[in-house]
Amino acid sequence: MQRMSDSMHVFDRAAVRRHRDRAAATIGGVADILNDAASRLLDRLDDTTRRFTAALDVGGRGIVAPLLRARGIPTLACDLSPLMAAGAGAPCAVADEEALPFAPASFDLIVASLSLHWVNDLPGALIQLRHALRPDGLLLASLPALGTLAELRRALTATEAALRGGAAPRVSPFPDLRDCAGLLQRAGFALPVADAEEIAVLYADPLRLLRDLRHAGEANAVVLRDRRPPPRDLFPAAVAALPEQDGRVRATLRLAILTGWAPGPDQPQSLRPGSAKHSLAEALRAPPPEQG
Amino acid sequence: MPDEDAAAPPPPIDPRLLEVLVCPLTKTTLIYDRAAGELISRAAGLAYPIRDGIPIMLADEARRLETP
Repeated sequence: MQRMSDSMHVFDRAAVRRHRDRAAATIGGVADILNDAASRLLDRLDDTTRRFTAALDVGGRGIVAPLLRARGIPTLACDLSPLMAAGAGAPCAVADEEALPFAPASFDLIVASLSLHWVNDLPGALIQLRHALRPDGLLLASLPALGTLAELRRALTATEAALRGGAAPRVSPFPDLRDCAGLLQRAGFALPVADAEEIAVLYADPLRLLRDLRHAGEANAVVLRDRRPPPRDLFPAAVAALPEQDGRVRATLRLAILTGWAPGPDQPQSLRPGSAKHSLAEALRAPPPEQG
Repeated sequence: MPDEDAAAPPPPIDPRLLEVLVCPLTKTTLIYDRAAGELISRAAGLAYPIRDGIPIMLADEARRLETP
């Protein structure tokens, strides 16, 4: 019998690493999508006048570190997979996001582009990332949020249920955008913001969608995944059931973009309780202004 | 002429990386054993290997140090 998974152990990290090792050779095939996602994330750097001098790229797959260096920011990288680490485009360590090997206050910018969604203990990983930041350092992270691959999830579940009378999880669970800012806050980040951007990818050959996911190292690593070979008709039938748009099927990548700052002394602070100069009770008692 | 493979020292680790790395388990400083190509965490009793200049900072890939 398969071990029941607890809430902290949703993903099989050894499988995640295997998938990323394998994907190191094929990542070029999906560079366009990864580039698009990374550029949208790094666009947020244009919103701040801060100059960054020490960046960490977490799991950037050879895309993010070169973009950071092109902006003139000295960058180090880490990845769970040694093969991905070798192609990171910056001095790179193999590291587990759940046990990061970086000294406190090592970086003033950490970028994690689509690389934290296979982490079991996301709040724990965010806390460790915050510790690796200097005061007033910035975390920029993107995660696939709820809504990502929703078409594929629906098609696979319906098709498998019809073929087998039951369905196993084949698309990773994604966090709701609403929970993302809360996650940052729980991890101790100041000024946390989460917003969404959608990237739609259209496929003339829907089986290429599945190939691209594999090539990106995004094959299923859910602990409770069905390890039996899937029914032979499952994937062809499921992709045939995907909604079409001008003869092509649509896959949605709904990015949750998270920004948060390591607390620093010069950030806007809330006032100390009791420091107000006007009484709220008096303000509320004031007569309503004359209607004129 | 010396054998190229046998005599070659392991590729060195990038000094900028060395500056920020700590033991992932104990978050304590590491000792760089250049000859062995290892990063040693006395607190955890582990030696993390360096392969092709890439430090492998995973506890399950580290060598357990003999207790003195």
